[in-house]
Amino acid sequence: MAFTRDTPTPGVRQRTRLSPAWGFVAPFTVMFLAFYLAPIAYALVDSLFATKSSGLGFGPPQRVFVFLRNYTDALSSPAFQASLGRLFLFCIIEVPLMVATATVLALLLETGKALWPRFFRVVYFMPYGVPGVIATLLWGFLYIPATSPVLQGLKAIGIGLVPLSSTNVLFAIANISLWLYAGYNMIILTAALQSIPTEIYEAARIDGAGEWKLIWLIKLPLIRGSIVLVTLFTVIGTLQLFVEPLVLSPLTTAISSDFTPNMAAYANAFTKNNSSVAAAMAVIVAIIAFAMSYIFLRIVNSKGRQAW
Amino acid sequence: MRTTILLGMGVCLALGLAGCSSPDATATTDPPSEAASSAASGPVELTFQSWVPNIDKAVDQFNAAHPGIHVTLETITAGPDGGYAKMFSAVKAGNAADVAQVGYDWLPDFVRNDAAEDISSYFKDSASLFADWQVAAMTFADKVYGVPQASSPLGLYYRSDVFAEAGASVPTTWDEFYDAAKKIHASNSERYIAAFAFNQTPWLLGLSEQAGAVWFAANTDSWTVNIDGPETMKVAQFWQKLIDEDLVKIEADMSSEWYADIQSGNIATWICGSWGDAIIRGNAPDTAGKWAVAYMPQWQAGQKATGTWAGGSANVVLKGTKHPAEAAQFAIWLNSNPESVSTLVSIGAGWPSIKDISSIASLQSDPTVFDFYDGQDIWDVFAESDSNVASRWKWPPLVPSLYSAITDNMKSAIDSKRPLGTAFTQSQTAMVDALKAAGISVS
Repeated sequence: MAFTRDTPTPGVRQRTRLSPAWGFVAPFTVMFLAFYLAPIAYALVDSLFATKSSGLGFGPPQRVFVFLRNYTDALSSPAFQASLGRLFLFCIIEVPLMVATATVLALLLETGKALWPRFFRVVYFMPYGVPGVIATLLWGFLYIPATSPVLQGLKAIGIGLVPLSSTNVLFAIANISLWLYAGYNMIILTAALQSIPTEIYEAARIDGAGEWKLIWLIKLPLIRGSIVLVTLFTVIGTLQLFVEPLVLSPLTTAISSDFTPNMAAYANAFTKNNSSVAAAMAVIVAIIAFAMSYIFLRIVNSKGRQAW
Repeated sequence: MRTTILLGMGVCLALGLAGCSSPDATATTDPPSEAASSAASGPVELTFQSWVPNIDKAVDQFNAAHPGIHVTLETITAGPDGGYAKMFSAVKAGNAADVAQVGYDWLPDFVRNDAAEDISSYFKDSASLFADWQVAAMTFADKVYGVPQASSPLGLYYRSDVFAEAGASVPTTWDEFYDAAKKIHASNSERYIAAFAFNQTPWLLGLSEQAGAVWFAANTDSWTVNIDGPETMKVAQFWQKLIDEDLVKIEADMSSEWYADIQSGNIATWICGSWGDAIIRGNAPDTAGKWAVAYMPQWQAGQKATGTWAGGSANVVLKGTKHPAEAAQFAIWLNSNPESVSTLVSIGAGWPSIKDISSIASLQSDPTVFDFYDGQDIWDVFAESDSNVASRWKWPPLVPSLYSAITDNMKSAIDSKRPLGTAFTQSQTAMVDALKAAGISVS
């Protein structure tokens, strides 16, 4: 939406430029309206209604305005509350793990002493090219004793690991997300590291800084903006947790159909044919994601509260 | 120019992805007409949505026999996995297919949401061809909303080689099933008589139905819901015992793990409908000759009680079709013409819904099927099972909600080591609450 803000041109020039400008932004605008704003508006309206029947339920149904009833129903349902709790727990596991892994990988490959940094950068990035569903299916095979050579090998040496038990399942999912997206986040941080002028390193070295000091005092503070960005992406992505648990769900008793809020919304829309409740749940997740991003940005951007 | 094209694309996509690909919205230019008069202006175009593999063979047979009607098959995702959601959206958007595949368990939701066409007037002359209980499953408030295609009478598929190695005999009662379970697991600690398919409500439902449970009954203006009655609890306790003694494997059926286990013989039986044959043959081809089918084990020796895998499957004329008469004609022919039914049986669509199966060729002899079972005519078992379906059930709306409730509660009971019966008790509450919340009366 930046284009509206970036073109505050005076009246006359604006009029002559209007039509070609619209020609360029129209494809985006149309798609944005059709696939972003219109569905949001539709979901918001839909979430205020419910389908009511009577008697045996075979007469013509009525669409009734229920205002916020779908929201209060969702928020007061123990299953939905549990799914929100699970999601926050997953955030606590996943976000630090992801940011730390991506940062360490980026720093390692940018030390200048790493072996074949370009090769490994591609290797670490490659999982990002695998669609989430496929990745989860593959990991699913590795998580099941009947099909996993790793678990069979561990069992042979006396370690009975059950990745998909209810105690381990969040870590099993975090592992898949980490494998999928750590490389992508690493690339963002690598780009930031590469944009730091080498003179700064030289100056620091002359002042007697070793590799550790370089990392703590030069590199990390200078890529702080990118780390914040990566953290934000991870928080938002984590709140949308859906594909991994959905695909793993048939493989374990630890994942219910309402394991995460997005899964609960999906179940309502696609298996229970109740799009209104699904819309309400989706809106709740969107509001939480918005609020958490806002709070996070407020914390990291407030003056005098630099993390390091 | 580009804008217009993109705008057009956007609108077309926004109106529903189905709309662009299904020819029914655009290809039909002739006005709604009788099949006879339409011959002059080209055949009536119909779209049929189904997920039954190879059903195109039966559709081709219909097209060859009906020059006035042309049916295009649109293969879609299986109903519970998103196919139904697509149908409901398309009906809402006004560009639905003409005929669609719908399970008996979901049909009430189609009626409730006004997504199925009342075909009573087209169907009444053919009603006597079909099994009475299946016609009853299509009928709501004296109106018929679908043509029954196939039922799912249950049978016991088993690995005769695994039973022989364990010295176990094929169970005719559930007590014998328990004894065989012990022998099979004792013969090899990797082997189990069956999977406890926590994911599969239709399976649990069939087992309960066989024990005599009637989960749903329709009164004049309200439903009686009895999901946690004594019969269902008897089934829950039996499987609880098998789980407690580590005699069954807790595993989702039709999952990759389960397929690996039926190939290796680690899972020795499967209770399923006649279409289970196509699943086993397709996924464990190397086990040819090692399988056989027996009648369901009984709670009381000498009885012949059976159940179904969620009833069966129907062809429904969707609301909004321009050609309800031709659509109904297609659905009736597809499921009652002997050659078409023969094709449906051989592709694994299920057990025929018609009463007279004497002229169905593929039921008399089908070497590809029978050879897999070492020459056994497995259809004898399902014919007997089908004739014993008690059919006291009436499906209410919101059964899909019940399915996810039972699966979730089953998973949580197993995960936290609570008795399986609690899952049915919780699901009873959940289903009654869901019905009431939708404004439907429960007594």
